[in-house]
Amino acid sequence: MKGKIIKNSDNINTKIREILESLISKQIFDAVFVPVRVPTGESFTYLLIKDKNILKDCIPLPPIMSVQGARAFKDLTRLGKLKYKILCVMRPCEIRAMIELSKLRQVTLEDVSFLSLDCPGVYQTADYIIEPEKYDKSFSSLLEKWEPEGLRPNCRVCNHFSNQEINSDLHIGFYDQSLILVPLTKKGEEIFTSLGFESTDDLADWENRKNELLRRREEIRNKTFTELHNQTNGMEGLENFFKGCINCHNCMRVCPICYCRQCFFESTDQLRRESEDYLIRTEKKGGIRFPVDRMLFHLGRMTHMSLSCVGCGVCEDGCPMDIPVGQIFNFIGDEVQKMFEYLPGRDKDEPIPVLTYKEDELHEYEDAQETK
Amino acid sequence: MAQTFEPNLIGFLCNWCSYAAADLAGSNKLEVPANLATIRVMCSSRVDPIFILNAYLRGIDGVIIAGCHPGDCHYQTGNYYARRRFALLSKILKTFNLDPHRFRLSWISASEGQRFSQVTKEFAESIQKAGPNPLRKKPFID
Ligand code: SF4
Ligand code: SF4
Ligand code: FES
Repeated sequence: MKGKIIKNSDNINTKIREILESLISKQIFDAVFVPVRVPTGESFTYLLIKDKNILKDCIPLPPIMSVQGARAFKDLTRLGKLKYKILCVMRPCEIRAMIELSKLRQVTLEDVSFLSLDCPGVYQTADYIIEPEKYDKSFSSLLEKWEPEGLRPNCRVCNHFSNQEINSDLHIGFYDQSLILVPLTKKGEEIFTSLGFESTDDLADWENRKNELLRRREEIRNKTFTELHNQTNGMEGLENFFKGCINCHNCMRVCPICYCRQCFFESTDQLRRESEDYLIRTEKKGGIRFPVDRMLFHLGRMTHMSLSCVGCGVCEDGCPMDIPVGQIFNFIGDEVQKMFEYLPGRDKDEPIPVLTYKEDELHEYEDAQETK
Repeated sequence: MAQTFEPNLIGFLCNWCSYAAADLAGSNKLEVPANLATIRVMCSSRVDPIFILNAYLRGIDGVIIAGCHPGDCHYQTGNYYARRRFALLSKILKTFNLDPHRFRLSWISASEGQRFSQVTKEFAESIQKAGPNPLRKKPFID
């Protein structure tokens, strides 16, 4: 693979900022959508930026993911397509979620271009806010070492941390104090040339390291998934896994894929019931717990969105009870995605498996009389 | 215990085919399981996997979803989507080892009263063998 290597980029944020500034100056884009550190310093947010002076403060690759980029973006195109051109600077899993939302018709990607970045992972927000300086420091060395320790659990097992099978336009990788620019689409090619770059550099070193990292990640991934599988065997295992869950639905609220304005589990249909209804359920079960439908919420959410789960882990980051909810969704997502040979965010034209069908398929599920 | 256990079953039947087949079975006085509660839906694709999980978590012993044969859906393609969703749900249930044998998807056309009787009886028997849903007496799992 060929691309452009920019040497001596020890501060990657500064280098990427220069690129973004130049794209705004050249009027290739009207604005960029990029993470910025909030003035109080301990958190980050996405800003839609037009002004080059504000762009100076952006942190394209922050050490935490306080909000999932796709979730942040959603409001922008609620009323239809953009009337200007923007560049979204995001981590790979955020772009994947954007692609899934476009398939679910929750965002419109016309006039949106993507700049994806090599992502070594993020720290857990709860850890970060206690010692931000310490984590800022260790994050800067993370791009050299790529150690899984201390990262969000889903990041430790992520196998799509770079330009692997992603519907992005332009990718920036990091290797040996250099920035690696790789156009991935025609659009990306145009952005790339407008910056005055040519694909002349050989990227073998970066690619070899990427493959080595992937190999290491896959190892941890397989091991972790096997453990998760064993832990969640049968309803007993599953209940044990979720034992601390307080049914607050926070995991759903921060998830980029869960887009329903009103979740079924919070709908009047589900929650406004005659008191007798509950008594009938009590008679059958001996008792029912309140708030109701806790396991139904988790299993139901899996049936609704696991095909599109990008494994970002914000759900787990947002869980007040430290339930490994991101890990179990990542695991089950992987299972169902493999079954349909589907990968969220790979291609915007690849339909989500439950939104399409083949006439002649899945006959093993018809009249299946599984015996115990 | 095994002989006296009458499974509680729920059948989600599409209005245009399987519900009509149930009707036909009834008027022809064909045998159907005693505790089969039928719920009429406009199409098999109306059945959200959540309905099935809800029944299961509340302690229902078996759930059957029945619709028109492929190619015969009143809305052309509803049952193809229903099949994909059922496969997805089955995969999740199997992965977590959650009684996948308590769920069945079958195609039964409006004229197949006989088949309706046979499929539901067969299903009831298999659930009878499997025994009652253990979640029935689990107040903490819902
Ligand atoms: S379920 Fe969790 S890991 Fe999956 S996309 Fe939603 S927030 Fe990310
Ligand atoms: S898993 Fe965590 S965030 Fe989700 S409902 Fe349970 S306690 Fe709330
Ligand atoms: S109308 Fe019977 S399956 Fe769609």
